[in-house]
Amino acid sequence: MRNRILHAFVFLCVWAVSLHATAQTLQVKGRITSATDGSPLPGVTVSVQGRNTATLSDESGEYRLDIPGTSATLLFSQVGMVPKEVMVRAGGVYDITLEDDMTELDQLVVVGYNTQKKSVVTGAITSVKASDLETMPVTRLEQSLQGRTSGLTIASNSGQPGSSATIRVRGFTTFGNNNPLWVVDGVVVDAGGISYLNQSDIESIEVLKDASSQAIYGARAAAGVILVTTKKGASGGLKVNYNAFAGVSEPARKLSLLNAREYATLRNEAALAAGNALPFSDPSALGEGTDWQEAVFNRSAFRQNHEFSLSGGTEKSTFYSSFGYLSQEGVITSQISNYKRTNIRLNSEHKITSWLKVGQNLGYSHEKSQGLGNTNSEFGGPLSSAINLDPITPLVETDPAVINSSGRPYSANPVVRNADGNPYGISQYVTQEMTNPLAYIQTRLGNYGWSDNIVGNVYGEITPIKGLRIRSTLGSKLSYWGNESFSPIAYLNAVNVRSQNDFTRGTHRGFDWNLENTILYTKDFSDHSLTLLLGQGAYYDNRARGISVTYFGLPVDNFDDASLNYNIPTDQRNSSGYENAGHTVSSLFARVNYNYQEKYMVEALVRRDGSSRFGSNNKYGVFPSFSVGWLMSREAFLQGNDYIKMLKLRGGYGVVGNDNINDFAYLSTIGGGRNYTIGQTDMYTVGYSPNAPSNPDLKWEQTSQTNIGLEMNLLHKISLTFDWFNKVTTGILQYPRIPAYVGAIGNPAANVADMRNTGVELELGYNNRLGQVDFSVNGNVSYLKNEVTNIGAGVNFLDGAGFQASSYSITRTMTGQPYNSFYGFKTLGIFQNRAEIEAYTNSEGTLIQPNAQPGDFKWADLDGNGTIDASDRTFIGDPTPNWTFGFTVSAAWKNFDATVFGQGVAGNKIFQGLRRLDINNANYSRKALGRWTGEGSSDTYPRLSDNDPNRNFTNPSEFYLEDGSYLRFKTVQLGYTLPVSLTQKIGSQKTRLYVMAENLLTFTRYSGFDPEIGGGIMSIDRGIYPQARSFMLGLNVTF
Amino acid sequence: MKRYINHFAFLLLFTGLAGCKDSFLELQPRGTDLESNYYKNRQEAYNGLVAIYDVLGYQASNYTTKILATSAASDDHYAGGGGSSDLPHLQAWSNYTLTPAVGPQADLWYRNYMGIMRANVLLQKLPDVPMSDNDKTRFAAEAKFLRAFFYFDLVRYFKNIPLIDKPLTGDEIYQTEQASPADVYALIEKDLAEAAAELPERLAMESEAGRASQGTAKALLGKVLLQQEKFTQAAQQLADVNGEPGQTSRYGYRLLTQYGDLFKVDNKFNSESVLELSFTNTSVGDWGCINCTEGNILNIMIGPRGYSAGASGPDYVSGWGFLPLTESLVSALQGDPRYPYTVVDMKKLEAEGKASYTPGYMDTGYFLEKYAGREANRWKGAGTFELNFPQNIYEIRLADTYLMEAEALVRGGGNTSRAAALLNAVRTRVGLPAVAATFDNIKKERRLELAGEGQRWFDIVRWGDAATNLSDRGFVAGKHEVLPIPLLELDNTRLEQNKEYGGTK
Repeated sequence: MRNRILHAFVFLCVWAVSLHATAQTLQVKGRITSATDGSPLPGVTVSVQGRNTATLSDESGEYRLDIPGTSATLLFSQVGMVPKEVMVRAGGVYDITLEDDMTELDQLVVVGYNTQKKSVVTGAITSVKASDLETMPVTRLEQSLQGRTSGLTIASNSGQPGSSATIRVRGFTTFGNNNPLWVVDGVVVDAGGISYLNQSDIESIEVLKDASSQAIYGARAAAGVILVTTKKGASGGLKVNYNAFAGVSEPARKLSLLNAREYATLRNEAALAAGNALPFSDPSALGEGTDWQEAVFNRSAFRQNHEFSLSGGTEKSTFYSSFGYLSQEGVITSQISNYKRTNIRLNSEHKITSWLKVGQNLGYSHEKSQGLGNTNSEFGGPLSSAINLDPITPLVETDPAVINSSGRPYSANPVVRNADGNPYGISQYVTQEMTNPLAYIQTRLGNYGWSDNIVGNVYGEITPIKGLRIRSTLGSKLSYWGNESFSPIAYLNAVNVRSQNDFTRGTHRGFDWNLENTILYTKDFSDHSLTLLLGQGAYYDNRARGISVTYFGLPVDNFDDASLNYNIPTDQRNSSGYENAGHTVSSLFARVNYNYQEKYMVEALVRRDGSSRFGSNNKYGVFPSFSVGWLMSREAFLQGNDYIKMLKLRGGYGVVGNDNINDFAYLSTIGGGRNYTIGQTDMYTVGYSPNAPSNPDLKWEQTSQTNIGLEMNLLHKISLTFDWFNKVTTGILQYPRIPAYVGAIGNPAANVADMRNTGVELELGYNNRLGQVDFSVNGNVSYLKNEVTNIGAGVNFLDGAGFQASSYSITRTMTGQPYNSFYGFKTLGIFQNRAEIEAYTNSEGTLIQPNAQPGDFKWADLDGNGTIDASDRTFIGDPTPNWTFGFTVSAAWKNFDATVFGQGVAGNKIFQGLRRLDINNANYSRKALGRWTGEGSSDTYPRLSDNDPNRNFTNPSEFYLEDGSYLRFKTVQLGYTLPVSLTQKIGSQKTRLYVMAENLLTFTRYSGFDPEIGGGIMSIDRGIYPQARSFMLGLNVTF
Repeated sequence: MKRYINHFAFLLLFTGLAGCKDSFLELQPRGTDLESNYYKNRQEAYNGLVAIYDVLGYQASNYTTKILATSAASDDHYAGGGGSSDLPHLQAWSNYTLTPAVGPQADLWYRNYMGIMRANVLLQKLPDVPMSDNDKTRFAAEAKFLRAFFYFDLVRYFKNIPLIDKPLTGDEIYQTEQASPADVYALIEKDLAEAAAELPERLAMESEAGRASQGTAKALLGKVLLQQEKFTQAAQQLADVNGEPGQTSRYGYRLLTQYGDLFKVDNKFNSESVLELSFTNTSVGDWGCINCTEGNILNIMIGPRGYSAGASGPDYVSGWGFLPLTESLVSALQGDPRYPYTVVDMKKLEAEGKASYTPGYMDTGYFLEKYAGREANRWKGAGTFELNFPQNIYEIRLADTYLMEAEALVRGGGNTSRAAALLNAVRTRVGLPAVAATFDNIKKERRLELAGEGQRWFDIVRWGDAATNLSDRGFVAGKHEVLPIPLLELDNTRLEQNKEYGGTK
């Protein structure tokens, strides 16, 4: 980045200084070495200030330049080194040593509508640069942030390729939508929509974590802001880059489930306990049985990625263009779980005159994904079927006696068959949504979803006088998406029967735009530096429209033959459509930055936003912020200090807003669809009635945040950033559940609750060179404490996630507790014998659990009323991690380089809800082998009984919670750069080969597929699609 | 240079203007009306009325309906289904393991209050709607009738319920308390009396079938009065509905000559129908929104599971096996002419080789013929056929009001010869000999005549017979006559749980 800026600066100055050119020539040469260890530095840019002359140092660090004129200033620069200027008045040898730039003080950081030198930034902003991302093979951008920066909690929502991740910037800010605001090259892009970006195109990502940096995006910044800047070309030669990797993936983990013999044994035991007949007469004869997991796993799922970019330009125009292709098979049922993306990007910038610059950024992507249906759902889909199906049913039924039996479904129904004509096995024991996944695959073949996104902006910038920049940007996002699916006639089991095929096609279009005009004025006078920003913006989004058509009873039997061209009678067609009126925001903002000698910094800003989502009572919100910084290391008393190379203190306070609720939520709307058939026409009449009561006082949710930070660099080797923050959200927008006796459809929106997040973040880095090995260790760790401080008058709590058919919610939001904490019963171990049951009495000597049997849970009678009921539930765990951490260890030796990147969380619980409770015959985890079978056999896993009168399993309790901490080696990479002598033969500047493993190892005590479980409420495992473990081979060529 | 600055400033102003105008922030929802400017003509008021009727036929997304839930609880059916955990809320009522958390109460509660809210809204808006006074009066009477209907169900299910007679706003939402059952009945009677006075005697069936008429309101009022054991008043109201036994009443009601014709799908709104729940197969209902369909889900739910017709077998669709008939009901029906119209005997059909099925949970081999889905009615258009059966359900029919009046007369010491005439008109229609009009005979007749039509649970609770008849199912006298208040309704509100379920009400 800095190089490029310098280059630009060089070229800008060319004509100004060229007037002084004379006929003389200075011949300059020398050797550039590292100040740290005296080793030669190749590839250092040596440029002449004011001239269009530059060169690079060679392998031994030597350079040579012929400079016209009698004197010149040479600038030596390289990424990661402190640049050095040398005045040259005569030809000769100028040996130079460069210091490592550990402080990166002059690194530019993208802040809202401008860039700032890192040294003068007063907010809490974390930057991730292109160079940090190069070693990460990600499918979606948000994955590249996981573990990279402090203050972010990121968990993938599914291992389905291309699926989004849950991102929380400094925790849950609100009850509703907590997705941060993504701003790509100034265009606001909704969180789900950033999949169109290609990782190689990213120049930098800035995460604005505190209110003083976010407030410039006031209206929608409360949940954090992530600024993405795509690459630009640099003037000079053409630069061509090709990155590719390919490899295979497999599920990293397999659940331990019972085999057929164990299953039958436990089923007999559970049936016996309930007084039912034994379902299996001879369990031992059943053997291992079917391994349903292996049936859905693909242990060699292929993935590949190709990225090709061209960039370059002249003094007048620069461009960056790229092409990318990515294809990834899922590790579960790959036939119906895969993802492809193609993207093209063109960014350019043109200096039309000395004072006018125009440019554009444009990205197009086409995505196609096949999803396997339900993921992280207990209600079907191949994963939950594989977990719950009995191991006795065969994958494929081959026994003619069974196939032809009138008692079995095979002969009389349109069952799904394999290529040999044999039906896929249909379980006699496990029914409902659980179906043979192989048969299920056959019913979804070909179905896919697609999206096309065109996101870009055009801008004009004039610089009428020095220091004044007026810029106008028009950005837009045009997106098209849709889906096609064919459901054939199929009998999967008695309740999953489709007797008529259907074919659905949906198409949707969204068009969002925004317009921003800013005036930036920068003035430096002696020791004072002042920057003023005035701006105005208009934003229009959520303008989607779409239609979906379903044809029933097509004369075909598979996806490929299905077509809407068939002339199906009109009553066999179903269609629906919609259009959103959209969401508008209008904004005015101003910011002033002042610093004295880059030592004392002050920033103040204010933004006023109006939103279409509020009524006239509260349409506008004003969001101010203020922050200060003190770069102590510039003070005289620290100058010359051998240890402290940089020390900065900063602090700020600001308020940001959130209008993230449905459009028109403040109004009471009339809904249709309350239909009834009146008269003898057989046609229903559409009825209309109010939905939820209105709330004309609905207003902005506000988040105010205080942040205090410290940045430090010691010995140019150790860098440290520390932040403390206190974030308070008030008037959280929600749809609190109103009592059903109100009779409303839906719940009214209201500003109901308050919440606080406090936390500390630490980023530590250590870089050094030992002998011939360069190595660095960078780590970050964040601690976050969330507490709901108010939940609204008259409301004691809000129910959260449901679980299967349980009548209890398993999470609850209540004052004094973290948002959506797990809520359920506490166990006091297991009754080992009758005496213990009889000893468990209340104060009056009455049995608390009179119906319990030995082997049942002893529930804690928390309310002390002498019986176990709903009011004995309490808070039993927090689903959101308190600790998140990440680390990167890199080392380079000669042509070899290695990187290990790890990431993890701690302090959360996972609700392990994999087994379907309402299907007695569902398979068990192997943990069930340790169930209570007699006195002393277990104090944690109760007896098995089909009627479960003590509700051992149907009560949500601590039994289901497991420690969710994990440490994952996300990427392990080993690279080798081919010697230049070799690569030059093909004209390549640099060619690097690497091998890489992704998700190589995960250390966790969690027993499910994957401890990383995203979602609106994290850490509820209903059968999450696990992250894949991949092994890849990659190539990186630069011309 | 200054010129350019001016130009640019102009451009800035121009393009920025869009964002500065207040109208930029004033979006209007599209295709959606606001409550504040709805109900502005007769059509919109009518649409509001239709929305109240909608709740009559309400079917929850978890398949809870009035007829299904109360039948499962009665001694004529078991819940059945695919297994002991198939629709656990129904199983819990069928085997009387109800708890505040588990049971059908949440849906039964919500649906009725939803209807009440819609009725309250319409009653509040009607005075300001520019439309004819005749229509206003009639719509208001229908809204009151429907409100009374919903309250009558609620007070019978739950006993202690909030009594809400206008839309709740703001703080009222959380300040509502439970009313005494007497106050609830008072409102029901008042609403029905006012409705009966204003509703038309006859409907223009072609366009109005399914709406309430004077006869409907009086029939319901009679039922409400009978429930409260106000026998004389009940008999009065019902007499108006019934007219001369066996003849056409002033409202045009008359028993059908053939019992079997009652359950022919296309014989909708016949002369015996007093209050009929209307369904259609034209709404293309599908799994995406089960509670949106206008089709009747009872048909698929009670069909024999895994049914497969052989040669000359009846054309039932393969259903989900809910509401198998109890042996007790089937033996009571033995020899009765109504048996073939009430009972599907699957074991017999299998023995005869006419059909096969898969026994479900609590299987008895007997299913309900009246509402079992038929291949002839299988919907072949868009949507899923399971959710698009067009058969209507009787909520009140003339045989029912005959027997209610007879009961009121007998129990209230009224005209016993009229009671006998009413009872025997029902019997004669199916070719049964006359019997004496005793309470016991009336009870027996009600059971057989109305089997599977959703009356039984209310009847045996009203008669005090539930504890005896359901003793083997776990019915506890003094407890299971009411349902628990839904658990979630107690959260953050002033409601208290019924004392039968550990509460204080």
